[in-house]
Amino acid sequence: MSPLWRRYEARLLLAIVFLLLLLAVTTPRFFAPTNLALLARSMGVLAILTLGMLCVLITGGIDVSVGSMLAVTSVVLARLGNHGISEPWTLIAVLLLGTGLGAFNGVLVALLRVPPIVATLGTLGLYRGLLLEWTQGEWESTVPGWLNELGRPRALRLDASVWTAALLALIAAAFLNRTQTGRNIFKYGSSNLAATRTGVSRTAVLFTVFAAMGFLTAVASIFYSAQLGSVQGNAAVGYELVVIAAVVLGGTDILGGRGSVFGTLLGVFLVSAIQTSLVLLHVPTYTQGIATGLILLGSVLLRRLPNGRSARVLTATVKPLGHGQVS
Amino acid sequence: MNATPGSPMGMSGEVLPDVATKSPLRGAIERKQWTADSGQAWVVVMLLVIFAAYTGYRSQDFWTLRNWQVLVQPLAEAGLVTIGMMVVIASGGIDLSVGSTIGLASVTAALVARHGHGTVATDFAALLTGTAAGSFNGLLIGCLELPPVLVTLANMVLFSGIAVTLTAGNSITGLPNGVLWLGDATLFGVPAAFILFTVVVAITSLLVNKGLWGRYVLAIGCNPVAARFSAMPVAATRWSIYTLQGALCGLTAVVMMARLASARADMGQALMLISIAAVVLGGTPITGGSVSVLGTVAGVCTFYVVQNGLTLLGVSPFLQTALVSALLLVAATIGAMLRHKRPEG
Repeated sequence: MSPLWRRYEARLLLAIVFLLLLLAVTTPRFFAPTNLALLARSMGVLAILTLGMLCVLITGGIDVSVGSMLAVTSVVLARLGNHGISEPWTLIAVLLLGTGLGAFNGVLVALLRVPPIVATLGTLGLYRGLLLEWTQGEWESTVPGWLNELGRPRALRLDASVWTAALLALIAAAFLNRTQTGRNIFKYGSSNLAATRTGVSRTAVLFTVFAAMGFLTAVASIFYSAQLGSVQGNAAVGYELVVIAAVVLGGTDILGGRGSVFGTLLGVFLVSAIQTSLVLLHVPTYTQGIATGLILLGSVLLRRLPNGRSARVLTATVKPLGHGQVS
Repeated sequence: MNATPGSPMGMSGEVLPDVATKSPLRGAIERKQWTADSGQAWVVVMLLVIFAAYTGYRSQDFWTLRNWQVLVQPLAEAGLVTIGMMVVIASGGIDLSVGSTIGLASVTAALVARHGHGTVATDFAALLTGTAAGSFNGLLIGCLELPPVLVTLANMVLFSGIAVTLTAGNSITGLPNGVLWLGDATLFGVPAAFILFTVVVAITSLLVNKGLWGRYVLAIGCNPVAARFSAMPVAATRWSIYTLQGALCGLTAVVMMARLASARADMGQALMLISIAAVVLGGTPITGGSVSVLGTVAGVCTFYVVQNGLTLLGVSPFLQTALVSALLLVAATIGAMLRHKRPEG
């Protein structure tokens, strides 16, 4: 593990500090307690999803079906709740469904050996198509009372999604760094061949991360629909790109083998803070796309600075085993 | 090339020794990779023929000239992007910015037209914008060696941001009549857009299968390190691949503007997933290193023929999305099985 000041996270922290200083000068309103609480609220769902995506990306895979899975679990949650099914049973059903959707991706990738981007591209269309066929474009314009209650602010004016995300982040960090399976995920991502030759089960690693992604999507969907108060079949189209962008911004190598929970949370913070501040700075909605694109591009270029592990062909291709960074 | 599940960008740690000494294509043929890859292409062609026969039996409108004329217009648009995507994927890359590039190219062209310029200037503006956008991708990927997924993801957001800002989210109409000509013109009943697509397919097929450039593309897709150690111009080839893709996106914008008689920032968004899916459906491995032009054409045809057929059979559009995606999964699974059965090496 390299010293802190040489790690990508350090650079990211510097960028965040710079952004905060800039905001302190231009828009002091950013630091109003109400705005900070709103910012934290907007981070909860994204943070939960990025934890799953982090694990998938560390294996060198990708999951582009997250937006579709989020929509399916949200709509099923609202429908079950509105049909008067009790809170615990609805939650159990939704968590099982999410895990099932993720596990289906896992079967395709781990057992049938379909490349992850192809498999999840297929399920992206499959899940969304089936959902829209089922709902016929109708909205669930209300959610049950207990779900509304979940979206209410709690301790420190933060709602349950933030506390859940924090708890899950701790669990994810412990899982990735302290358990055998977690280390195997890093090993597999560093070098598929070396990992499988040294006894890491390819099937177990890939199935675990995709099923976990599905489970975490179900967890996120609970807060997603609680915050929105209504869901529809076209919810969260393209949301997977925001999730992937946040994780990648957080220093995770898209080629696998490297990434950390801490960096990912920084990435989530940066994405949400930028979006909030663009609104506060009265940047027109249309121009926000340009700003987001430039920031993403800048973060990609950030790795090309000297002294960082750059994404050069040689280093990316012949990677030593298990140098995944620890958060 | 050995399938490397779990690493979508084809950056496995393996070094294929023969790439340095002989052409990757010949190596691929000797390893019988060719048969397996076009094997999947033939599976797709066969499924397509069966589907077309069944649809023709159930619906009288399917085998009519008018239906096919309507069908091949959007097919040609998607086909142009897909051919570019095939080359990108064969080189071990991916381009997520195609939809935004098409949007940006069409919007720029429409703005040029709005300033009173004629047909030639308008279409040229679309081509130039597309090429410039692709060239920007190529510079970042080829010269700075940044991962294609990241670069094109960022540029997807950036390009569509520029396009949306230019139009304030509106669609632009009132294009010169000459621009719309391509949408109506036919030669012996075949729409001009489809003829254009055929020509592009023929040229790309020659480039990829016969020329030195094609060898470079496949070698980079097989193993970029080995390609560099074999003194191949890796950076320049990568730059040219993404520039070609950009130019084809510009061409797609020209054809789309002709058909829709308008330009919008989000005009090409759907084509990103379709083009990747069509390439994969046709048997080109997502990890790069080999290519199947026949398969890619079959893949993109399948998408549009099946959608058209399902519409004639009265299947709802939502279910169509699900069925086409299921088709992609089935074909990819068969392809993965074929590839996995092949002995390593």
